[in-house]
Amino acid sequence: MSIKLTIMDEMARVAREHGKTLAPLNDDVALLDSGLDSLGLAVLVARLEDRLGLDPFTTSDDVQFPVTVGDFVKAYEHGGH
Amino acid sequence: MSEKPHNVLVTGASRGLGLAIARRLSAAGYRVIAVARSKSKPLTEAIAEAEQSGRGPMHFAPFDLGKIEAIPDLVKNLRKEFGPLYGLVNNAAVGHDGALAMMHNSRIEELVRLNTLSPIVLTKYVVRAMMAEGAGRIVNVASIIGFTGYSGLAAYAATKAAMLGFTRSLAREVGRLGINVNAVAPGFLDTEMTHGLAGEQRQRVIRRSALRRLADVDDVANAVEFLLGDKARSISGTVLTVDAGTTA
Repeated sequence: MSIKLTIMDEMARVAREHGKTLAPLNDDVALLDSGLDSLGLAVLVARLEDRLGLDPFTTSDDVQFPVTVGDFVKAYEHGGH
Repeated sequence: MSEKPHNVLVTGASRGLGLAIARRLSAAGYRVIAVARSKSKPLTEAIAEAEQSGRGPMHFAPFDLGKIEAIPDLVKNLRKEFGPLYGLVNNAAVGHDGALAMMHNSRIEELVRLNTLSPIVLTKYVVRAMMAEGAGRIVNVASIIGFTGYSGLAAYAATKAAMLGFTRSLAREVGRLGINVNAVAPGFLDTEMTHGLAGEQRQRVIRRSALRRLADVDDVANAVEFLLGDKARSISGTVLTVDAGTTA
């Protein structure tokens, strides 16, 4: 499964578990409009670290958390290294 | 307890209160991961005892908690080696005392780094693992000095009060994921940290306590065990004071 598909799959799972409805996603959708709240995003990052072995937000020097879904996916695709 | 023991990380477990907590949790059947810079003789003995007793196993994880930047890898490696982390006991701390006006800035910085910054960052990475599991318990070892005054401990008090605030807000943040966050606030204990508290000062603390004695490390370890157990499942965001009534 590609990184992007893994992320989408995990977003759907977290939304389901948290009783949230996931918005139709494309790269320009803001993460906070995706249907996941900040806690949901934290769970997402924790799960993705397990599945992908990556935590781009610890390894990156960039302090800012990505705003859009596209930027979020890119952070993982660039591997955070 | 289920057939597979819950993993509990205990920091500063090589001596004093941390060692007592590690022993207690092992006796209660938890698998204890004892984090400390070096393996003290008493910790080595405790690990051997745990092995012989057939109760919860105890493992030593060497780590300098002042190395904040290495904490993410520490947690990653521990999870790889031991599996899901059920509990975290943030116990490691330094107890530098002295008049603030004369305390070296490096000592103040060390207090904040080891007593506040390090446990917050460690908790960040451990709580992520707990979030992924949807369960977990965090116990922060604060101090009665976090809410009552004692001359010579202003900087130390600031770090402990910080952990109390951290406990309450984190409890709110992660509660709906099934993670409980609490603190224990020991009074003065007879450990290496309080060696400076001798003679008349010590007697004064004893005289002021409701029970006319000091609490000991085992009293505090029992409180930690309680907060990690099933019986505390509905307790979160609270502070359990264990001080023989010093602050009553």
